[in-house]
Amino acid sequence: STMADDKDVLRDVWFGRIPTCFTLNPDEVTEREAEAYYLLLPRVSYLPVVTDKVKKHFLKVMRAEDVEEMWFEYEGTPLKWHYPIGVLFDLHASNTVLPWNITVHFKNFPDQDLLHCPSNSIVEAHFMSSIKEADALKHKSQVVNDMQKKDHKQLWMGLQNDKFDQFWAMNRKLMEYPTEDGGFRYIPFRIYQTLSDRPFIQKLFRPVSPDCNAHTLGDLLKEMYPDALTNDGEQKRYQVLIHGIEPLLETPLQWLSEHLSHPDNFLHICVVPVPTD
Amino acid sequence: MAERRADCSWKRHISDQLKLRDRVQRHTFEEIVQQYNRLLEKSDLQAVLTERYQIEKYDVQRGHEASSLDASRSDSLHQEMSQMRIRHQEELTELHKKRGELAQTVIELNNQIQQKDREIQSNEARMLEYQQQIASLEGDCRDLRNSLQELEMANQTLKDEYDALQITFSALEEKLRKTSEDNQELVSRWMAEKALEANRLNAENEKDTRRRQAKLQKDLADAAKEPLPIEQDDDIEVLAEDGGKGAGETSPNRPISRTARKTSQQPQGGLLDSISNIFGRRRSANSFGTSPETTEPPSGGCAEVRVPTTALHVFEAHDGEVNTVRFSPGSRLLATGGMDRRVKLWEVVAGRCEAKGALTGSNAGITSIDFDSAGSYLLAASNDFASRIWTMDDYRLRHTLTGHSGKVLSARFLLDNARIVSGSYDRTLKLWDLRSKVCMKTVFAGSSCNDIVCTEQCVMSGHFDKKVRFWDIRAESIVREMELLGRVTSLDLNHDRSELLTCSRDDVLKIIDLRSNAIRQTFSAQGFKCGADWTRVTFSPDGSYVAGGSADGALYVWNVLTGKLDRTLDRNHSSAINSVSWSPSGTYVASVEKGSRAILWSDM
Repeated sequence: STMADDKDVLRDVWFGRIPTCFTLNPDEVTEREAEAYYLLLPRVSYLPVVTDKVKKHFLKVMRAEDVEEMWFEYEGTPLKWHYPIGVLFDLHASNTVLPWNITVHFKNFPDQDLLHCPSNSIVEAHFMSSIKEADALKHKSQVVNDMQKKDHKQLWMGLQNDKFDQFWAMNRKLMEYPTEDGGFRYIPFRIYQTLSDRPFIQKLFRPVSPDCNAHTLGDLLKEMYPDALTNDGEQKRYQVLIHGIEPLLETPLQWLSEHLSHPDNFLHICVVPVPTD
Repeated sequence: MAERRADCSWKRHISDQLKLRDRVQRHTFEEIVQQYNRLLEKSDLQAVLTERYQIEKYDVQRGHEASSLDASRSDSLHQEMSQMRIRHQEELTELHKKRGELAQTVIELNNQIQQKDREIQSNEARMLEYQQQIASLEGDCRDLRNSLQELEMANQTLKDEYDALQITFSALEEKLRKTSEDNQELVSRWMAEKALEANRLNAENEKDTRRRQAKLQKDLADAAKEPLPIEQDDDIEVLAEDGGKGAGETSPNRPISRTARKTSQQPQGGLLDSISNIFGRRRSANSFGTSPETTEPPSGGCAEVRVPTTALHVFEAHDGEVNTVRFSPGSRLLATGGMDRRVKLWEVVAGRCEAKGALTGSNAGITSIDFDSAGSYLLAASNDFASRIWTMDDYRLRHTLTGHSGKVLSARFLLDNARIVSGSYDRTLKLWDLRSKVCMKTVFAGSSCNDIVCTEQCVMSGHFDKKVRFWDIRAESIVREMELLGRVTSLDLNHDRSELLTCSRDDVLKIIDLRSNAIRQTFSAQGFKCGADWTRVTFSPDGSYVAGGSADGALYVWNVLTGKLDRTLDRNHSSAINSVSWSPSGTYVASVEKGSRAILWSDM
């Protein structure tokens, strides 16, 4: 039943949703009052892909001349569209009251903080480059290079149209590894911190130790971000979130990479302070 | 194991955490967000409609200005409406498409159902067929079972019958066995009875004989007591003169007077003994009575048989060839027949033959002589085709039996002395009745008959064609034929007529057992040769010897039991011996030759 559990996990990961309330920036000029727009956002997708309705909703009450590129912000922080939505939420609003309140802006695009996203094809390009980067770490890019262009397209379309089976038909190839190796060459991961200058930690890390022991999440953190771990006797200071949950530190890293990666094949790990209340 | 559980624990932790997260973050908001959005749509629509009505209301008043404003408003309204319409159209088309798909599915399913129905039908049809087949097979099976049952019953019946037959058979077998046993028992009992009977008969006979003997002895004793006139010149010559009278040998008295004188010539012992010897007891000195065939009945058995060693008397018997010689039944007389047509009679006295007389009447040579059993008649066969009978007391010719068309070579009295059988060169045998003096029967033998002998029922004739023919007197037909290796010249019977002696031209004598018809003995000798077709041989009176004369003039005597030559007596005859006769007393042997000589032999 472990196989079924794994499939369940994949599905749960894919179909994860965050209840979001989009509110128009009060400073925006509107012809009439804009009601808030509620939406369940897919954790694994990206903001430009899933917010057409939001745009449509708010454009109803706005004049065309007042509309520039739409951008989002949470409690003053512009939300980077090239991060997976789930990562954005876990990082910024994981322990807040739901729904997630996002403010929609149509003016004053913050060029310092955000990348422009004129169309979905930009998102696609970003997505594919992530996959390639991940495969470079996992298989020295052999698998992704063996794929045809239509296979790459299938991956993107699966994500864009929320088609789990279509996506995973291709993605499973990227999750294979030679059995004698015991796992991928290196684990593609990024560790995000809230209070840091660095955007994220990404380094080379093998899934299996030289003496053939499987590395765990704990091993990774110890190596990459030891402060995230709680020593014996201490109070817990940080939460280590993946897809909004805290996996046990003894969870094998190889398994995490296969099952809890995002569609872009990266294991996005958010380390957030434990809520104080 | 612990690892797996550990696996499960972190995996389960993740699984649980994900479920919890979804519950909190998704499920609680899903419904509300949906409903909210729908309400939003509705309110938008309402707003659009309201706007439109207001525009219409103020349309006339505002004119172009309002209309431009309205237009923009209505534009936006229209835009919203059209958007909504598009959305609805899209939904509609989507629904239509879905319906089409569903209809298609329904059609397909219907087809499938129809196909399945068809299959079911065909299956049912096949099942029906199979059921029919099964029914017919069951019927066949039943029939077969029935016939099997019938066969079993029939088989059982046969078995029962067989058993019954077996039982019957074994019962019958048992019965047969019992019957055979009974039969055997009865037969043995009968045999015992017969034996008893025979014994009784024998005993009676013995008694009878003893009685007679006793009487005879007594008579003799009486007679002996009588004074006898003794004359010194009482010799053979005297006898010769009244030979006609004195030849009757039926009375026992005569031999007594003779033997009284010639005791020295007689066998040893007293008067009574000699009498006894002649008539009664059998002396076992020379005669062999061991084999049953030679068992002699008390009456007719002879006395002492002596094998001749010396020629007592050699004399000229005839003028010419002497063909035949025979002793009378009483051994007193000797009869010789020759080519001079006469039968000469001689009295045998003291080792010499005294001429007693001659019988005339024949017109040609005499071929054979026979006495009747009493010695009263003499029968002679002749070359003149006739047989003649003379009475012995007066030497007169009584009968002449003519009828043959050839030389009569042999003539015999039958045992009843009332009939005569004659055999001739004309290849026939004739049976004559003496009372009527006619030929009663003529049988064609097919070959010239050289010699004849008779028993009670049978006439045996020896022929030129080497055969001995046995004739049944009553049936007057041939009973048997026996072929020898040469022309049969002579036949003789032993005293109890159980054995037949034959002589044939192959120079061999044979004894044939008349009961078994087997050749019991064969006699031959180095120099023995048959001189003629009528060479006659003879048994000794007790059947223990046979004697025959040879062509070289020697007399041969063989021992019957051993088959060996006992004696050869030669240098007495000068020519071929034609006939030999042994006296019934056993004392003398007489032989006659071609050269007219006759010799009397005995053993002293």
